[in-house]
Amino acid sequence: MPDLTFDDVSIVYRTSGRNDRGAISAVKNVTLKLPAGGTLGIAGESGSGKSTLAMSVLRLLPPNATIEGRVLIGETAIADLRFGELRALRWAEASIVFQGAMHSLNPVRTVGQQILEALELHVADGWKTDKARKARVVELLRDVDLTPAKAEAYPHELSGGQKQRVMIAMALACEPDIIIADEPTTALDVIVQKQILDMISVLVAERGISMMMISHDLSVLATACERIAIMRDGELLEIGDAYEVCTNPQHPYTRQLAEAFPTIGDPASRLNPVTRRGESPARKARELTGDVLLEARGVTVTFHGRGTPLAAVKNVDLTLRRGEILALVGQSGSGKTTLARTIVGLQHADEGSIVRFRGKDIPRKGRALRDFRSEVQMVLQDPSAALNPKLSIYESVAEGLRVQRYAGDEQERVAQGLTDAELTPPERYFTAIPQELSGGQRQRAVIAGALAVGPQLLVADEPVASLDASVRGEILALILSLRDRLDLSALVITHDLGLAWNIADTVAVMYEGALVEYGTTEQVLLDPQHEYTRRLLAAAPTIERRLA
Amino acid sequence: MSSTVPPTEAVILEEQGEASVRSSPAVKFALTKIGGALISLAMVILLGFFAFKILPGDPVAKLAREHPMSPEQIAQLRAQLGLDKPLWQQFGDYLVNVFTLNFGESYVYKQSVASLIGDYFWNTILLTGTSAVIAIALGLWLGQKAGWRPGSRFDKVTSGTSLVWWSVPTFWLALILLMVFGGTLHWFPTGGMVSPNSPDDALGKVLDVIWHMVLPVTTMVAVVYAQYVMVMRASVMEEKSADYLVTARAKGLRDDDLRTRHAVPNALLPTVTLVFLHIGGLVAGAVTVETVFSWPGLGKLTYQAIQGPDLPLLQGTFVVFSAIIIFTNLVADFVYRRLDPRVRRG
Amino acid sequence: MSGPIETTVRSPRSMAWARRRHAFGAFCREFSRSRSGMVGLGFLVVIVVLALLAPVIAPAWMLDLTKLLDQPRFAPPSLDHPLGTDDQGRELWVRMIWGARVSLLVGFAATAVSMIIGTVVGIAAGHFTGWTGGLLMRIIDFFLVLPSLILAIVLSVVLSRGVWTIVIAIGLTSWAGTARVVRAQTLSVESRDYIERARVLGAGHWHIIVKHLLPAVLPLVLANTTLTVGSAIIAESTLSFLGLGDATLQSWGSVLKNSMDVSAATAGYWWYVLVPGIAIVLVVLAFTLVGRAVETIVNPTLRSR
Repeated sequence: MPDLTFDDVSIVYRTSGRNDRGAISAVKNVTLKLPAGGTLGIAGESGSGKSTLAMSVLRLLPPNATIEGRVLIGETAIADLRFGELRALRWAEASIVFQGAMHSLNPVRTVGQQILEALELHVADGWKTDKARKARVVELLRDVDLTPAKAEAYPHELSGGQKQRVMIAMALACEPDIIIADEPTTALDVIVQKQILDMISVLVAERGISMMMISHDLSVLATACERIAIMRDGELLEIGDAYEVCTNPQHPYTRQLAEAFPTIGDPASRLNPVTRRGESPARKARELTGDVLLEARGVTVTFHGRGTPLAAVKNVDLTLRRGEILALVGQSGSGKTTLARTIVGLQHADEGSIVRFRGKDIPRKGRALRDFRSEVQMVLQDPSAALNPKLSIYESVAEGLRVQRYAGDEQERVAQGLTDAELTPPERYFTAIPQELSGGQRQRAVIAGALAVGPQLLVADEPVASLDASVRGEILALILSLRDRLDLSALVITHDLGLAWNIADTVAVMYEGALVEYGTTEQVLLDPQHEYTRRLLAAAPTIERRLA
Repeated sequence: MSSTVPPTEAVILEEQGEASVRSSPAVKFALTKIGGALISLAMVILLGFFAFKILPGDPVAKLAREHPMSPEQIAQLRAQLGLDKPLWQQFGDYLVNVFTLNFGESYVYKQSVASLIGDYFWNTILLTGTSAVIAIALGLWLGQKAGWRPGSRFDKVTSGTSLVWWSVPTFWLALILLMVFGGTLHWFPTGGMVSPNSPDDALGKVLDVIWHMVLPVTTMVAVVYAQYVMVMRASVMEEKSADYLVTARAKGLRDDDLRTRHAVPNALLPTVTLVFLHIGGLVAGAVTVETVFSWPGLGKLTYQAIQGPDLPLLQGTFVVFSAIIIFTNLVADFVYRRLDPRVRRG
Repeated sequence: MSGPIETTVRSPRSMAWARRRHAFGAFCREFSRSRSGMVGLGFLVVIVVLALLAPVIAPAWMLDLTKLLDQPRFAPPSLDHPLGTDDQGRELWVRMIWGARVSLLVGFAATAVSMIIGTVVGIAAGHFTGWTGGLLMRIIDFFLVLPSLILAIVLSVVLSRGVWTIVIAIGLTSWAGTARVVRAQTLSVESRDYIERARVLGAGHWHIIVKHLLPAVLPLVLANTTLTVGSAIIAESTLSFLGLGDATLQSWGSVLKNSMDVSAATAGYWWYVLVPGIAIVLVVLAFTLVGRAVETIVNPTLRSR
């Protein structure tokens, strides 16, 4: 069984064309070793070079990438292999588990055919004949808990979790010595995520395969790997035993990563999101005595598409007071986004549902709707998609004012909005376009656009899900500070219980359209009553910490 | 007519919109699509009435302008063409006629339009069908090879020549080919479908027809294949950045196999839609090509009809040409369903 | 954030215009990098200038038959007669320059009609959901099914002969292609989050269409326009060739029709056939090159790296 060695590896992309930036250094002098049978996790945010490093193992980088240093499998330097030898090595000695939930499977061929393809390319004694190969496909699918019938399915007929299992089965097909798992659990439900991680760990340990796992989520790596390496901007910052790196990080950046995902129950992180700007004073949980801003009773939303009607939201009761931050927690498909859209007025609830803002039903059209829109605003998940890439930040922030025909000084309001969102000095950002801003700054700009119209309630749909871990804390701290400064109430939709622990006063848990648990954060997260909430809490990847 | 390819995601979103119909079970799908085709056909027929009876105003007056007639002759012609009846009655007559496939009598040929069309229909199908098959096959093959390695010499040459051919007017190319290969070099006949003294045996007859087909088919293919090259090329270029290709490459596939087994089947999907959409251009080319080469087909009939102007004949060819395209699009729907499993099994 | 800090804040209007100027400048720079695009553009500029200067370079009397009684008929190209003469003794190059006016005019006008209808219907079909959108889509699909040349022929026959009939005929039969592409693009833009955000902020149809959809769709429309002009010119020449053109206005297509009437092809008067055709090919090719250059800017995946 060979080791995987990176010996002073540097990878540079030569770019030309429209955004001519010359050369981008994606990986800088990285030396790493994955011993035979071991597990290594590489953590880093987008742009850290971790994926580039992983792709270099099988020489899968685009032609404009140059590699210096050596990548070795056993004693063989990958760069020295001829193309025929490389093709033989690919998959048979080292394979990759890609993100299956996305588009890593050919949509027009069955998954069985795609696994078969790997077997046909690397024929070995175990599967010399057609019949043997087909039998092996069945065996592999069984190993990942999929019925043999699934071999005839096309990728679009499988769920995200099932597709990821197929990717794992495919990676194991030719009995490789090394497996590289590139973000294997991103875009998956928290509960499914746990299943997949457990499965990968067991399969890899059983067969003595070395595994290198890549993720932006430190807690995911802590669950599955013995050792963890931290990368940022192409450089290797820290490497060591998983537990040590997570609980006792040496590098400040590692500390930042580790603390971005708070442990539920840890009082240090309650209402105290980690920010880059130094420690913020710990807050006390607020007493919620303000007036009722939002009231929802018996809210049901049914979609009548083709076929059977789908009840996305079933009989939900919610109350939100002034100054309260409510976290609506649920996995994808739980109906949380539909509920959010109903509250904001983008979706109509069924007859009999009551949704009231400040005592009045949510208006459907006309002047009343326009006024409503200046009181309740929404922030979406992906700030890059939420801003028109061609408009300047000024125009995006001013959009609400223009649409609502604001009579006062528009420029002043835009500046105020940007300042409230902590983008200062605001004039600097007037002529910028979204491309020039970082992810965190873009989300602040979106928030500024919502703030400019002066709302009392902000609905945030997964406000930090698309952001890097180190920036999460900032945006969460912003929401808290807006509550303190402007008395802004917030309804935060998220799949992440840790986020709720971080900033919410009350938590509501949704499952398949219904509200299964609802109470203060302490109640719900420390003493859950419903079975589903308990399952969620158990599945959330945590770094084992001894609580003080 | 233009070859702009919308971005793939846009086409995919469109297809998804269609998917609710397409991903229904086979029978429902067939019925929906055939029903749609029949509605289109009905609308074409309606359009025919509108265009030929309402728009022109008084065709008899027009005819009278071109060929001097006495007032009695005009009145007689009017009665003969049924133009002295009220409009709604004319519409009723029209519908009855359409259902009985009676398109009236050609002014020029003095023969029933339906029988004229019947005589010439299959000749046009032979010509356009052959051209379509060759143009599509050639275009798709060149396009996928060019799209796989954009900027390569093959791509540059293919794209360049395609663009030049696309800019050539069909009738002019026909004239040039006729002039050079028919007139000057005498390699191919200068017109018609069969020689005056055609051989007696079946094989000889077939070869004779093929010999007559070479120039017209070459013309039609040359002008149209470029469109298919461009569409397929763009499709393949967009597929190149797909994630599943990285997976396949990681498994150890050769570059050529990557292209043929993974990229092309996926790139074919939006291409098929666009190719069949533009088939109208191919069919319309038959008008000029048949005219120049004196091929006895619907196109030539159309040309004769223009000279008249022979309105019943023109109306008949218009309806028939439209019907051919409606039918081809129907075939396209079924072909697409066959190719895309996401649609077959929603 | 990179770049100097803006110390003077201008009005929103001037900032918006500055942004547009900047984007336009970037577009022009990008375009100038395409060699084929620049060649096409240059050629077109030359042709347009020649066409505009027709009365100056080739005064109308040169086409007056009464003045040409002494001119040789069917003279092959020579120094005296650069592109040869036709059956009436007219210089071919004169006919070509005057023909350019008609061909280009009809090409542009028909394209304008087609583009305007196509863009409006396309955006409406993509933006409005429910039965309005469905109905518009059916209409677009119906027009796509109709064979455009045949329909153009039909319209040219039943309406009175003339240039504007041809313009309308071509315009009405080619808008559906644009509409389809515009609709597809509108659908993809509609699914973006910033449209949803605009709705939350209170935007109505007008704001979304004008502020977001139209700017997103216009680059594609521009690419489509240049390609459509090419097809419109070919369509016009085909219609003229078939005898449906305006007899008084000489376009390149009518020159070719004349050549067929006098059997120039078989009689060996090759310049009569070759010259107008090559002119059409070159002009359409130029438009196509420009259109494709614009297309690669609009759709970066089409860039051949």
